[in-house]
Amino acid sequence: MNRPVFGRSEESARPARLDRDRGLVEAARRDPRKFDALYRKYLAQVYSFAYYELRDHHAAEDATERVFMQALAGLPRFEERVDEFISARAPVAAGRTPGAEEPAEAADFSTFRIWLFRIARNVVANERRRDRRRPVSPLEEAARVAAPDDVAELAATREATEAAYRAVQRLPEDRRRVVLLRFVNEMSTSEIAAILGRSEGAVRVLLHRALRSVADDLRGRTN
Amino acid sequence: MPGHGDRDSLRTERYVNDLMAAAGRRADAVPADPDLDPGVIAAARRLRADLTRVHPSFRFEEALSERLAEAAARLRAGLPAPATGVSAALAPVQPATLTAFPSPGPIADRDTAAPVSQWRAILPPAAFRRIPEVAPRPSRPFIVGGVGVASAAISIGAVYVAWRHSRPTSGRMGKAAKAAHSRSAGSGRGRRSGATHGIFGVLS
Repeated sequence: MNRPVFGRSEESARPARLDRDRGLVEAARRDPRKFDALYRKYLAQVYSFAYYELRDHHAAEDATERVFMQALAGLPRFEERVDEFISARAPVAAGRTPGAEEPAEAADFSTFRIWLFRIARNVVANERRRDRRRPVSPLEEAARVAAPDDVAELAATREATEAAYRAVQRLPEDRRRVVLLRFVNEMSTSEIAAILGRSEGAVRVLLHRALRSVADDLRGRTN
Repeated sequence: MPGHGDRDSLRTERYVNDLMAAAGRRADAVPADPDLDPGVIAAARRLRADLTRVHPSFRFEEALSERLAEAAARLRAGLPAPATGVSAALAPVQPATLTAFPSPGPIADRDTAAPVSQWRAILPPAAFRRIPEVAPRPSRPFIVGGVGVASAAISIGAVYVAWRHSRPTSGRMGKAAKAAHSRSAGSGRGRRSGATHGIFGVLS
């Protein structure tokens, strides 16, 4: 049964909006073997999030596996959790002027992705808690992340990448998560808010402060 | 009325949105609000360029895909999905329910499929049609038992014939028959050898 993620708004009377992954989710719910399509679609995103958070390829692989296994096992319960996202967005929608243009990012909204990244956030948080006693950050890995094909620029880019990576890693946890979800996973403010369980205003402030911290860090390194 | 911090946050968000959209269009120039901190602009551009998405190895991707497929098959069969990693060691072992297993299927058909097909290949159609109906549900104990019963009957019959030959007859007809038999068999052969010759001579 298809249920709209965003219900029909009484004030604006817009047509109901569907989750862009609804078809894939419904197919996977009917036949769990179809989950592979969702897995392939979100593998790099989940892995990247885990990698930047855990700073280790092996740990990121373990976390990625846990995330998708939990998502597969929990998919039958996903329908019920959709309501949480609706209610989480309700205050935002209520505060918007009736008839006002919705941000373009809302059209690309996926509650499945939010749900998946909530799982990822929990898995990564558990992993970080477990690894807190372990020395972290093999920083040479950072350079491999964005290593360009042009050999001449390799050294400079590696230095720059490493500096940016260090600056992000020095951020407090909530700011770092916002930065990673925004820049690596290209999520909208509303998606990040739903994943982290914060208001959109709080996410905006976190992003702004994170960028200022990174700017100060990079400026200090330059000086 | 938003405060100063809120306005800065909104400006930053708008710039980052434009920056991400421009990257999607492969556009370089992104207009920024003149009141926005140049340090924030530089940091956003830097993070946009350096924080790239990472893809795991192909080997890992395919291995995890296989494990997910196995877990999906288990879920489809009504079994719990296997836990992974550290949690696997801590996960309670859940007893599988009887209904979770697939139905036994046509075991009797599977048992009889080979011999019937062999008969069909060997025998002409008319002879094949005379074979007793085994396809519906012939049980293995029945077949084994039938062979056993037939074997036992033959053995009992042979013992009875040998015993009957060796048993001295008491009636007149029996004595007359015995006298006639001994005459035809020759005087040098005993009763036992005659009986043995009768049995094995006929059989051979």
